[in-house]
Amino acid sequence: MTGPLQQVLGKAAEFGGTALAKLQHTHVPGVGQASTTEPREVAAARWRAVTVFRDDLAGPFPELEALGPDLEVRMQPAPGDRGTELSARFHGTPTDEQVGELRAALRRTKQLAEVGEVLRVDPQPHGTRKATLQGAALEGAAARAPKEGVL
Amino acid sequence: MKAAIWAGVNEVAVEEVDEPQLLNDHDVILKISKTVTCGSDLHLIGGYIPAMRAGDVLGHEFTGTVVERGKAVTKVQVGDRVVVPSFIACGHCWYCSQELYSLCDNGNPNPGITEGLWGQSPGGCFGYSHAMGGFAGSHAEYMRVPYADVGCFVVPDAVSDTRALFASDSVTTGWTGAHLGGTKPGDVVAVWGAGAVGQMAARAAILLGAEQVVVIDRLPERLAQVRQHIGAEAVDYSTTDVVAELRERTGGRGPDVCIEAVGMEAHSTGIQGAFDQVKQQLRLQTDRPSAVREAIRACRKGGSVFVLGVFAGPVDKFPLGAAMNKGLTVRGAQQHGQRYVPEILAHMESGALTTEHLATHTMPLSQAAEGYRIFKEKEDGCVRTVFEPGG
Ligand SMILES: NC(=O)c1ccc[n+]([C@@H]2O[C@H](COP(=O)([O-])OP(=O)(O)OC[C@H]3O[C@@H](n4cnc5c(N)ncnc54)[C@H](O)[C@@H]3O)[C@@H](O)[C@H]2O)c1
Ligand SMILES: [Zn+2]
Ligand SMILES: [Zn+2]
Repeated sequence: MTGPLQQVLGKAAEFGGTALAKLQHTHVPGVGQASTTEPREVAAARWRAVTVFRDDLAGPFPELEALGPDLEVRMQPAPGDRGTELSARFHGTPTDEQVGELRAALRRTKQLAEVGEVLRVDPQPHGTRKATLQGAALEGAAARAPKEGVL
Repeated sequence: MKAAIWAGVNEVAVEEVDEPQLLNDHDVILKISKTVTCGSDLHLIGGYIPAMRAGDVLGHEFTGTVVERGKAVTKVQVGDRVVVPSFIACGHCWYCSQELYSLCDNGNPNPGITEGLWGQSPGGCFGYSHAMGGFAGSHAEYMRVPYADVGCFVVPDAVSDTRALFASDSVTTGWTGAHLGGTKPGDVVAVWGAGAVGQMAARAAILLGAEQVVVIDRLPERLAQVRQHIGAEAVDYSTTDVVAELRERTGGRGPDVCIEAVGMEAHSTGIQGAFDQVKQQLRLQTDRPSAVREAIRACRKGGSVFVLGVFAGPVDKFPLGAAMNKGLTVRGAQQHGQRYVPEILAHMESGALTTEHLATHTMPLSQAAEGYRIFKEKEDGCVRTVFEPGG
C-alpha cells in the first residue's frame, strides 16, 4: 500500500474499524469498551462473559491464557440449565486493543467448547473487489468485527 | 468457476471466481443444482443493507449434491442430494438446543457488526452481507456449507429439485411465521405479501389447521396463485381497505394471527412504489413498515403479529399504543429452517405442499443480472427466478 489511492483506501479501512467501535460506544470515552455512559476505566474493568452450553466446562483455556497473567478468569453455573458462565477481566485498566483481544478469545473459547472448532470464513470465492471508499471501510469493519461488539 | 456477484448498488454481474475450499472439519462442498432469487436479495442489491462488498457472491436458497466433505462430517455423504436452510447454525449452542437456529451463537464470525447494531448478534446467513458473516452465497457452481451435519437435509427421491429448493428459505420462513405466530386449528390467519414467503406462510397456516387464511397483495398474478395453488383467499390492497375487509370477513373480530411477509421496502399508497424508489444508501430511518402497522391495526384483541419481512433499523410511527392496549403478541424472526425442513420435506413428498408454481422463470446462471431485473420489476409475472449453474 503505497500510492495515494492506496493510502486513501487504507484510511477508509481504518475508519471502518473505528466506525464500528463507535456504533456501540457513541460517547467518545467509551470507545472500544462496552458502555456508552460509563467512564472508560469503569467500562474497561467490567467482566466480559460468554455462556457456554456445557455444564462440565473446565479449563485449561489456552485462548485466554495467551492473553497473559493480568487476566482473571472465573466460571459459574448458568441458571436454567444454560451451561456455564465463563467470565474474564484484566487487572488494572486494559487498552481497547486488549479488550478486543479478550472478546475474540472468549468467542473462540466458547466455540471450541461447544462445537470443537472455530468457524472460519476466509478465504472464499469472490468477484472483483472494486477499490471504493465504502468497500474499504467495510473491509476494515469486517476485519475488526471479531474483536468488537458489546461483549 | 462461474458465480453471480453483487457489483454495486443495483448491479449484479456474473464473473469467474475461485472455487470454494473446505475451511473447517464440519464443512462440505456442494455442486449447486438450482439456486434462486429471494425478496431479501432485493434489499441487499438496492443498497438498503450497507454491509455488502463489491464482489460478494449472492444467493441463499439452493439445492446441490455433496462432492467433498470435511473429516468431522458423519451424517452427510458424498453424492447426497441435499437442501440447506439459509441460516448457518452450529447445532450445539443453547439457541440451537431450543431449535431457534437462526439465533445460533456461533454461526456468525463477524458478531461485532450486529451486536453493535442490535445489542446481540443472530447467526450467519449465506450470501447475505458481511453483517451476517460474509459467507459466499449459492449463485455459483460450487459452494461451501459449514456445520454440514446440522444444515444439510437429504431430499427424498420422490421430491424434485424444483420442489425441494424452496425448503431452503421460502417455505421454512413461512413455516417459522405460521408456527411461532401461534397458529392453532380453527384460527383465522392473514398474511401480508404474496411473494414466495407470504404464499408459503399461508400454506403452512393451512397445514397447521387454520380454518380461514387471507393473503394481501396488489399483484394480480400473485393473488391468482394464492387462490389456485395455496387454497387461500386473496385481497387486493390497491383497491380495498384491508382493515375494513378483514373485519368484515372475520365477523368483526379481526384475524387471530397476522403474518407480515413484505419487509423494509413495503409499498404504500401515497408513497412511490417500493421498487421505483431504490435508495442508494441505507439510512437507518428508511425501513418502511406500512404492512406491519396495518397488521397491528387489523389484528384481533389478544392476537399475534409475526414479522417475517426483513428490517434492519428503527422504524417511524410504530403503533405501540395499539399493540399494548389490544394485548398483542408481536414477534419476529429470521427463519429457523433446521427445525422445520424434515416436516416440510415430508409434506412435499406426500404432495400436501407444492412449490413448483413459484419457479416462474428458470435460466442459466450466466443470465443472473437479467434474472434479477425481471424479479425486481415483477415483470412477466415473475415470482422467483431459478438459476441453473450447470445450464
Ligand atoms: N425472516 C426470514 O428468515 C426471511 C427469509 C426470506 C425472506 N424474508 C423477507 O420476507 C419478505 C418477503 O420476501 P419475498 O421473497 O416473498 O419477497 P417478494 O419481493 O417476492 O414479495 C413481497 C410482496 O409484498 C408485496 N407488498 C408490498 N407492499 C405491500 C403492502 N403494503 N401490503 C401487502 N403486500 C405488499 C409485494 O407486492 C410483493 O408481492 C422480504 O422482506 C424478505 O426479505 C425473510
Ligand atoms: Zn431469503
Ligand atoms: Zn448454535
